[in-house]
Amino acid sequence: MSARSLTLGALLLAAIIAGSLATLAWGELGVGVPDLLAAARGEASTTATFVLERLRGPRLLVGIGAGLAFGLAGALFQTVTRNPLGSPDVIGLGAGAGAGVALATLLLPGLVPAPVGAMVGAGVAIGLVHLSTGLGFASPARVIITGIGVAAMATAVTQYVVAVALRDSSTQLAGYLVGTLNSRSLGQAAVIGGCLLVLAPAVALLSHDLRMMDLGDQLAEALGGSAIRTRTWAIVLSVLLAAAGVAVAGPIAFVALSAPHIARRMVGAPGPHLVLSALVGALIMVLADFAVQHVGPLENLPVGVITAAFGGVYLGYLLVTAWKKADA
Amino acid sequence: MNTSSRTTSSLRLADATVAYGQRPVLDGFDFTVPSGRFTAVVGPNGCGKSTMLKSLARTLRPRAGAALLDDKPLGRWRSRAVAQRIALLPQDPVVPEGITVKGLVARGRHPYHSPWRQWLPGDDEAVSKALSATGVADLAEQGVEGLSGGQRQRVWIAMILAQDTEYVLLDEPTSFLDVGHQVDVLHLCQDMRAQGRTVLAVLHDLNQAARYADQLVVMDGGRVVAAGQPADVLTEELVAEVFGLAAEIAADPQSGTPMVVPVHRR
Repeated sequence: MSARSLTLGALLLAAIIAGSLATLAWGELGVGVPDLLAAARGEASTTATFVLERLRGPRLLVGIGAGLAFGLAGALFQTVTRNPLGSPDVIGLGAGAGAGVALATLLLPGLVPAPVGAMVGAGVAIGLVHLSTGLGFASPARVIITGIGVAAMATAVTQYVVAVALRDSSTQLAGYLVGTLNSRSLGQAAVIGGCLLVLAPAVALLSHDLRMMDLGDQLAEALGGSAIRTRTWAIVLSVLLAAAGVAVAGPIAFVALSAPHIARRMVGAPGPHLVLSALVGALIMVLADFAVQHVGPLENLPVGVITAAFGGVYLGYLLVTAWKKADA
Repeated sequence: MNTSSRTTSSLRLADATVAYGQRPVLDGFDFTVPSGRFTAVVGPNGCGKSTMLKSLARTLRPRAGAALLDDKPLGRWRSRAVAQRIALLPQDPVVPEGITVKGLVARGRHPYHSPWRQWLPGDDEAVSKALSATGVADLAEQGVEGLSGGQRQRVWIAMILAQDTEYVLLDEPTSFLDVGHQVDVLHLCQDMRAQGRTVLAVLHDLNQAARYADQLVVMDGGRVVAAGQPADVLTEELVAEVFGLAAEIAADPQSGTPMVVPVHRR
């Protein structure tokens, strides 16, 4: 890792910590740094403990964990598909998770918890992509094109369910379908934390060969890697990370897509920039969650609305600058 | 070079069938890379030259038969071990976005690294030697994307040199270059051979192949139709048969090697 990457990493970390402290401390129920220190000694007031353990603490931790997972997932996916617009969302992970939740609510109301429906839906969608390409995850172009098709089908299923069967529960479902951090629990924070603990080392191992993928399959192989194996593992890990994020926070849009771009632009050098992408993902989530908790007009919106709006604007900016560069 | 002292070293294709989809390009193909030589592979488009090269470099796997390094199939070697001994420069390699010359050349050290050892004491020396041997040391900190075609090709060859392999396979390294840079690249091939490496390059220009390489392999329709020293191989009959070109073979005024001069059309 270069000195520049290390500096950027430290800055991002500082920004995440500052954003987290602000989110906790803001407003009426705010828990400031003195309260946090007291809580660490086990001497916090009842209110502060309640806010930390039930209200703001869990959603903050889930947000950071999901952000790290989405950022890492996007960086892995974009590196091996060599497609700057690639992310697990594009190939139907989020849409599949949404359809899973919608169907679970329709067919087995109250029996299947939303995260389980999401995981199953995401798994089915990605499984369909894997089967339909005919080559597994070996060909990036096929993965993306079939993925777009699968995502469209999954969205159709969700819309059908919402339109026909779920007029009553659709408000609640709507929150889940865009991704939300409202009423999270410490258990969910533990789930995403555990997933990261298992998956991040696997990503670290893969990163060695991953770095060579930008030379093209032939050179990556001639230099001692295995392009197809590296790509398959990267997509599998990317999907697992994104699925873990979706399970605890819902299919939050655009974080996986935009975090690696922002990281790449900050460094200005080639490479997957896995760590920086993960940190950028976490920072986006912390800032978006701050906005929906403390910024008047946005208050109580699902956090996915903020990331989608931000991501949409960023994507537009990206395309316009790319076109300008191409025309110049 | 870590293995130059090995005397039994060999790289060959044995009864290999290599296909894209259903159509075999090479069928029951035998070929042994002439050890310690600079060999040029020539032949009309679609004759299987690139396919042969890729099969020897492990990036294409034979459907039947095998590519053998020291008589052991490439598939049974660890991929890193193969990459420490065989380097391949593809025809149209991808330049990673934003990479510097030095960064690209350092990629050649990848086969010696592992997830646990991503830097070795010899890396810096191998990279700087490769940069100066190809005359691109002055460009080390520049972006590869901004370079001319000729400079870029030197940088790619520097990457291959940093890989420090016994076998160097080059797929049309002179295509898309102007004639000055073509000769530069051919000189680099000769330098690599002089260092004791075995160089195998697909070339298009028969006269350059005859002049700079010490061995000539002529392929047509998925077979080797002639192989040997250029003066023995390049005959009027062969050029007529393989390339469908009526030509006279003259002596190159500089080197005396055979030179193909197409017959004047009346």
